[in-house]
Amino acid sequence: MTESEMIEYDEIVRNCCCSYCGNNCDDITYLLKDKKIVGVRHACRLGASKIINDTDQRLLNPMIRNEEGILEETTWDIALDKVTQLLSASMRPLFYGWGETSVEAIKKGIVLAQQTGAVMDNQSTICHGASIQAFQNVGHPVMTLGEVKNRSDVIIYIGTNPMDDHPRHLTRYTTFPEGFFRQNGREDRLLITLDPKYTNTAKISDKWIQFNMNEDYSLFNAIRTILNGGKLKSDKIAGVDKEELYDLVDIMKNAECGSLFFGLGLTQTLAKQRNVDVLIQLIEDLNKYTKWSMLPMRGFFNVNGFNIAMTTETGYPYGVDFARGYPRYMVGETTTIDLLNRREPDFFMAVAADPVIQFPGYSIKHLTQIPVIQVDTHWGPYTEIADIVLPSTRVGVETEGTGYRMDGIPLFMKKVIDKPENCHSDEWILHQLNERIKKINGDT
Amino acid sequence: MDELDIIINSGSSIIQAFYEKKGSTLKDEYRRSAAIAFMDKKDMQKLDLKPHDKIDVTSKWGSVTLYVDKSHDSPHEGMIFIPKGPWANIVISPETYCCNIPTYKGIKGKIRKSQREVLLVADLMKIQYSKYSDDNVLTEKQLPVYKKRSKISHDRK
Repeated sequence: MTESEMIEYDEIVRNCCCSYCGNNCDDITYLLKDKKIVGVRHACRLGASKIINDTDQRLLNPMIRNEEGILEETTWDIALDKVTQLLSASMRPLFYGWGETSVEAIKKGIVLAQQTGAVMDNQSTICHGASIQAFQNVGHPVMTLGEVKNRSDVIIYIGTNPMDDHPRHLTRYTTFPEGFFRQNGREDRLLITLDPKYTNTAKISDKWIQFNMNEDYSLFNAIRTILNGGKLKSDKIAGVDKEELYDLVDIMKNAECGSLFFGLGLTQTLAKQRNVDVLIQLIEDLNKYTKWSMLPMRGFFNVNGFNIAMTTETGYPYGVDFARGYPRYMVGETTTIDLLNRREPDFFMAVAADPVIQFPGYSIKHLTQIPVIQVDTHWGPYTEIADIVLPSTRVGVETEGTGYRMDGIPLFMKKVIDKPENCHSDEWILHQLNERIKKINGDT
Repeated sequence: MDELDIIINSGSSIIQAFYEKKGSTLKDEYRRSAAIAFMDKKDMQKLDLKPHDKIDVTSKWGSVTLYVDKSHDSPHEGMIFIPKGPWANIVISPETYCCNIPTYKGIKGKIRKSQREVLLVADLMKIQYSKYSDDNVLTEKQLPVYKKRSKISHDRK
């Protein structure tokens, strides 16, 4: 008996790269009917929701807010000229976003920032920026996800919940797949989760260690002390029994190849980059006994690409200020949230990001005082406070481009369907702005 | 007990991320997935709360009304989890301690039972930030509202 297909389709496109999280799963199959995507295979719930999304909130034409405070459709020329005019008149422009667009568009963005003396920053500033600071402090024992799949027998997740944020991380890269040295897949591996909550990842782990919030730093230091032969003075560290920590160190020392993944639970609590500092030192110490490496769980599909592109072009990973004509990077000074909290920027453009979903309310309040530009695909909370809206296209679906996976592997993302008629790619939009600014700068 | 001291924790949840990426942020389904506080069962009993009741969450930085639901990740007595989004952002701390990252997790706050409305995204933006209008009239809008041009003339390029 053959099973009938659930979805009617007339074209099938294989090996597409997903454009949601830092996993960049490149085994996705799109099902098309009449040149429209009707189905997705292999993607997780989140990836599929981004590929087949709601069309009733899609931005289709450029818009400028009129005197009544309502967005009004306009032409590309009028919208781009208006953005150029506002941008060239501003003293402290800030470009934010870039995590969900291609490296090609980011490159155009860097040129625009250089031309206008803007600050260029991405989502690292609110998520793994602290991890990057820690890498600068103490180094980065890096690996690729392929190594984890083929070699690792102990997998540890700390302060992250991949079952919710990176749903295919365990099944595609770390825990479940059969690897060259781990032929039985899940059975050959031990999965440990350290988290204050009994998360969905903790539920499928072999071991869950619950610790108190904001006490990560003392917990990792205690583990490091045990590993280096020291004695703990108290019976409980960060709410964890010391016997449990001795067991954990034992498991870590006896692993054949260990991989540790950490998330925003570390970088967004009080000790921030210091949590990651001590964790890196722990991994360093573990390498005296056996092979261990670690990786931050990067959120968007190209948030890592921005850091790599930016470091290549300017020498700094994020929060780069071109105001003095040369790149400057100073954590706490040239980074988005600090700039907004100090009420400094007088022009704000978000490319492929929704700052209203991501920023604290106190920082968003400044966006109500300055011109705000949105370059994105969908009407979101940010559109409600945007003065000019430029509709763009989805990388990996309507536009091709390059994205960097969380472990720094660049992947090509295909164009599969045509874009809506009056939308343009981020790359095109930024190129147009560059040309216009160049003309103004040339005139003066 | 009327009021309870709690620690506020925010972060992604798969349901909230699903509606966010699907592009349905203006709709009720997004409000139901992001304007919600997940609580330990014991904490809910202390305030006599049932799933889908409403609470006011207050921190140093602001106050917001949310639905409550039983946490699937319990036990975590004394801590509530709010999925990341415009509602959680009102109560989280913008303090970066010069390290560029605001404090999204581990913020001290208070909760109490509420009868106030949980606002849709558009109304929340209007009332919380008042960029284009100072009145407090709720629009209940769940779809984009903008002025269409009957015929968009074609661009030069």
